[in-house]
Amino acid sequence: MSTPIVGLIMGVIFGASLVLAGLADPDKIIGALRLKDFHVIRTVAVFVLVGMLGMWILQLGGTTNLSIKPSTILTVLIGGAFVGIGLGLTGYCPGTGLACAASGRIDALFAVLGMFFGAHTYILIYPSIVVRLEGIFDFGGVTLPQITGTSPSSWIIPIFAAGSLGLLLTRRKKPRDVEQSIRAGDLIINEYPSGSVRTVTVPRTNDLLLKTDSLEAARVFRMWKNLLFIVTMLCLLLLQTSFWLVRTVPDKMSGDAGANKPVAFGSDENKTDESVKQNVTNSDGAIETSLSVPIEVTRKPGLAAFDISFERIALVVHFANIILVFTSVLYVLTLFSCLAISFGGGLGGISHICRAVYLSMVMLVLLLPWQIVFGSTVLGAIYTPGELVKWCSADTSGRFDIVLLNLRFTGYWALVILLLFLAQLRSFRWTKTSLVRLRKTVSKDVQREPPAL
Amino acid sequence: MKKLNVQTPPLPWWAAGILLGLVQVLAVSLVGPLDVSNQFVVADAKTLNRVAPEYTENHPLISNEESRKSGYGWWFDIGLVLGALLAALHLRIWKVRATTVWWQQNHDAPMLLRLIAGFCGGFLILLGAGLAHGCITGQFISGWSQLSLSAIPFTITMFGFGMLVAYLVYPKTPKEYRQAL
Repeated sequence: MSTPIVGLIMGVIFGASLVLAGLADPDKIIGALRLKDFHVIRTVAVFVLVGMLGMWILQLGGTTNLSIKPSTILTVLIGGAFVGIGLGLTGYCPGTGLACAASGRIDALFAVLGMFFGAHTYILIYPSIVVRLEGIFDFGGVTLPQITGTSPSSWIIPIFAAGSLGLLLTRRKKPRDVEQSIRAGDLIINEYPSGSVRTVTVPRTNDLLLKTDSLEAARVFRMWKNLLFIVTMLCLLLLQTSFWLVRTVPDKMSGDAGANKPVAFGSDENKTDESVKQNVTNSDGAIETSLSVPIEVTRKPGLAAFDISFERIALVVHFANIILVFTSVLYVLTLFSCLAISFGGGLGGISHICRAVYLSMVMLVLLLPWQIVFGSTVLGAIYTPGELVKWCSADTSGRFDIVLLNLRFTGYWALVILLLFLAQLRSFRWTKTSLVRLRKTVSKDVQREPPAL
Repeated sequence: MKKLNVQTPPLPWWAAGILLGLVQVLAVSLVGPLDVSNQFVVADAKTLNRVAPEYTENHPLISNEESRKSGYGWWFDIGLVLGALLAALHLRIWKVRATTVWWQQNHDAPMLLRLIAGFCGGFLILLGAGLAHGCITGQFISGWSQLSLSAIPFTITMFGFGMLVAYLVYPKTPKEYRQAL
């Protein structure tokens, strides 16, 4: 695909993501800078953490295109100050400014116009001022691991762990508080002019009892659903990482009939990998013949420090497959239970949970390893180590072969991830909708019988 | 003047962050990290090259043909506008507005002042992005994702000055946030 088309597609995805994320909203940006609205701060934190982790994984596989900006400290400090002033004044940055202008904001159009003049001024002052300033405190395009002489993992793992923990510990717990107060029979019903909030006991009707019981059940299923989602996601990530390790690590990976060359994948000793052959035989009979001969595999020196052997990868793939089958089936069943509870208890959000169930069922159908039953005619996103070796050892010199290989292992995987993600999102909306409906129902009950204050 | 409200984001923060993070990873695996601001300079360089080609020939920044090329980044920015437009139309949040909730809360001045503020802010943002070799997407987000050294000074001054200016320009908090707190 040519570069303009890739750029256009990536731009469309990024622009739509900015709007979906709520970042294309100056009120949210100003709220974040005034420390009144933490949606943008949290979103950007997750954005950076996921990007950091993803880039690191890509770097390990050797398929990354990094672009380190030059560390001309003085101009970066001045430039950062200018960007900060502009951001604090308008609530726009170049990306969100363009997105907001496309969303109908006229002030964003003026901001974009100002950006063109800003760029013009930058070009005009570049030869006389910027060139001189860039020479002061110029460290070149370096990263923190490079300048400290440490490995990227020693930075990324602690930052990712600390960031994730911080985000988890500081997340808003308001919906659960409301839910708990409803279950306990109390509800915040009025806000008095003085600003104090009083709680009153809500008289429980039969309808409310049914709702609260259903809510308790929904809460249990929701917890399990979220846990299963996380485990499924992790297993899918493990599978994809395994694929890229096998795909990128070996420089040469070919079946060599007649030669008694042993397997040496990521380990210094040359040895025959019996487990691979066994796995292949078990998973797909058709593959057996092609793999009954030894496979010669060498690794890239860049990954020598990790000492990843194929046995380990095969073990990880097997482990991830087993967990994936169980968790994905349980995930669909849990969502189905949520649908049943929502329907029976009249919790609301039926359309959301129905869509979540349907999406998760499609995800499950695409995920399961149908090739074990039907042969290579029907494929699932789950693959066996033998299948991985077969595909990676096949001749991929042609562009079509490369596309086919990536579609089989990454495209299919991305589709499953997308469906899982959408199902989880729908179920999340179901939770929100059911809580809103419950709050309205309880408020009506309170209005019918005024509480004694 | 019609009273505006702070919109609820379509996605929760964790989903939004994961989505954007995956877009970043996809961009890196295909071409390179996300960057938006550079194409404003490219657009101006193209214009200057048409109006005054003799000036661009001797310019240390834009004399190179590559600096005026409509490549990946150029189409990325066009795609960004298209994607945002499609998403806004799909979510039914496309609406002509000239001001914001925070501005309404803090300034009774005519709308023209908001537009002038927008222009001045945009001017400073791109001038700063040029000096810092990247904007918030290119320098802050992509910089931190790559653990670039330049991301640290950029983050410090950007957030420091951003918070200070936001406090000075928008001292009054809108009702929505007061209720939430």
